Amino acid sequence: MAAWPHWLPLVVFAPLLGAVLTPIVSLRSRHVAPWWALAVMSVTSVAALFLVLRVASEGPFSYLPGGWQPPYGIELRFDEFSAVISVICLIGWLAVLYSLRYIEWLREVPKERIPYYYALLLLNLGGMIGFVVTGDLFNLFVFLEILSLSAYALVAFSGEHIAEMAAFKYLLMGAISSLLVLFSVGIIFGITGSLNMADVATRIGQLDSAAPAALALAMLAIGFMVKAALFPVHIWLPDAHAIAPSPISAVLSGLVVKVGIIGLIRVYQIYYTSGVLDLHTLNQVLVWLGAISIVMGAFFAIFQDDIKLMLAYSTISNVGYIVMGLGLSTNFSVIGGSVHVFNHALIKATLFLAAGALIYRTGYRTLTDLRGIGRSMPLTCIAISIGAISIVGIPPTAGFLCKWYIALGAFEADQPFFGFALIFGALFIFIYYIRMVNAFYFQAPVHPEILEVTEAPLSMLAPTLFLASLCLIMGILGRIPLAFIEPAAARLLAPLGG
Amino acid sequence: MKKAFVAALLIVTAIPLLIGVVALPPHGDPDTPVHTHISARYLEEGREEAGADNIVTGVLLNYRGLDTAGEVTVIFTALMAGLAVLISHKKQPEGDATYDAAEAAAEDAPVRAPVSPVVSFVVRLLAPFIALFAVYVIVNGHVTPGGGFQGGAILGALFIALTIVLGRERTRTLMPRLAQPWMQGAALLTFVGVGIVGGALTGHFLGYPAQASLHLARELMMLVLEAGIGLGGAAVFATLFLQMEAE
Repeated sequence: MAAWPHWLPLVVFAPLLGAVLTPIVSLRSRHVAPWWALAVMSVTSVAALFLVLRVASEGPFSYLPGGWQPPYGIELRFDEFSAVISVICLIGWLAVLYSLRYIEWLREVPKERIPYYYALLLLNLGGMIGFVVTGDLFNLFVFLEILSLSAYALVAFSGEHIAEMAAFKYLLMGAISSLLVLFSVGIIFGITGSLNMADVATRIGQLDSAAPAALALAMLAIGFMVKAALFPVHIWLPDAHAIAPSPISAVLSGLVVKVGIIGLIRVYQIYYTSGVLDLHTLNQVLVWLGAISIVMGAFFAIFQDDIKLMLAYSTISNVGYIVMGLGLSTNFSVIGGSVHVFNHALIKATLFLAAGALIYRTGYRTLTDLRGIGRSMPLTCIAISIGAISIVGIPPTAGFLCKWYIALGAFEADQPFFGFALIFGALFIFIYYIRMVNAFYFQAPVHPEILEVTEAPLSMLAPTLFLASLCLIMGILGRIPLAFIEPAAARLLAPLGG
Repeated sequence: MKKAFVAALLIVTAIPLLIGVVALPPHGDPDTPVHTHISARYLEEGREEAGADNIVTGVLLNYRGLDTAGEVTVIFTALMAGLAVLISHKKQPEGDATYDAAEAAAEDAPVRAPVSPVVSFVVRLLAPFIALFAVYVIVNGHVTPGGGFQGGAILGALFIALTIVLGRERTRTLMPRLAQPWMQGAALLTFVGVGIVGGALTGHFLGYPAQASLHLARELMMLVLEAGIGLGGAAVFATLFLQMEAE
């Protein structure tokens, strides 16, 4: 089954086609929409599973839509980094299940909007899947637009004024970054005459002047940094991720920011292979920005009382870890950073879904108001605690090995300072999660009625607990993803002679 | 102070941009990579192997069909985004799953500014010709500049003009409620449909049969795609307009 070649276009077009069909199947009753979306994501997940199995057994492979050989046609290319679609499908599926009750509960939302919510969610997931499996620069931009547009709308979905403002801020920043990416793709086409990534990599060095290539690199890097919300272009993230409906926060924080990272990896693949520029300066900039993001994100998170805002700031610091891992460009750090793309997605989705469950049951969203909730919603709070220790990076949870590898990379690269910055950041993160755990379990409730609430319905509790258990499993079996991503990291760094 | 800062920022960003752009290969020089690499094959062989006299159409629908499928999805996403944000609480009976923007607004009998009888007459007079032109642009995109996107835009504009002149009660019969979502998604639906047919014929999703005996099938597939893109684009324009007018 895994050898069937058409899984690759299927995994991209199943969610997109599913999205187009969502308003059609919901014509009779809007209650069909979530079940339809769930079915679509199931099919997509099966395809993703076969693709990941195939790449594990035979390494990267391509699909040529229309049968045109690259660079004349578009190439879909599936490598180990593309295996991130497994997390996209998993979290997407769980987010749809979770939305079933959560979206109906949002009082501000007219019920007629709901089918469009599922359509947008499917478009967003399909766009992300397309983005990570394409081997063509312009195609990359097209999928970037699909996922960005749908993300803006999903942030605004709840209809509150503040959500619309947050979405608008996100839209402005996102549009600028998309423009930068598009302009760079244009420049690259101008100097190479090609759009296929592998072909561009061999041709980009053949020009007399390296200035256009350097400009394209800089703009691509900035564009993807905005999407990844790295300091100092992170300003859109906290509001957007905090105000979006919780399942959407999980998708945005866990997955959509990672698109920027994958984009950065693709750009690195091109430029490392071509050898047209010395990337040392860019790497140094990324490492510094990563380190600042780690500390700043963690620092701001400490002062947040709103639980979702706190989680949103924590995303900035985790993106900092990943980017620092890439920038250090040693074997260890790149492996650690790439695996953290997977693990942070699981961890942050756990936390946002659990936080959503608390808000759903109590109606409160600040740590002060939620004091004592650990007694009435023990399972949800256990999930949050597991997520919290994972994100700090305490063994044996999912966060530990990646951060360990990145720190090892910092020492390997002879830049121990960044290893310390990383540990320092982890300490900060530890402080604010201790604050959260303290509020939930040990402080006297501000609102007595909080002791009366019950656990969230099963369609919300089950995804949360499942993800929390994955945080533990990924920690215990942490060597498997590390070994899985290793060939890709080695291939990325091979041109450096390391 | 703020203005000076903005000006300084603009200059600082402009300098590297200019340096990069100045070093680009000169425009119009036939020896630059843009003309010698993949475009050269498109121009030389495109007519034969992609099956469209208009090379742009050949690239859009054949060589880079996946991109175009993505683009129509972007347009559809814009529609979904518009609807998800625009539909508001106004006077919708609870639990009515079959809400229709047009119907709700019709009940509301919106107060329209009167349209000059001259404009009204001219629009109605020209409507069939505009529609014919749109169909011509869609069908002839194969040979001359044009195609689904352009024709769809003309159709959408026609719908909007007619709605303004005749009122939405008259034009909504053009988009029956049950057909609406099919029309809105028409572009991607035809893409996937044609893509699967192509996959069955050639073994590649979105492939077109190249054998001489199947040239008619290839033409037909492209025509269906253009029609789907046109219909989908027009429906997206029309729906967004109706929705915004209803709010």
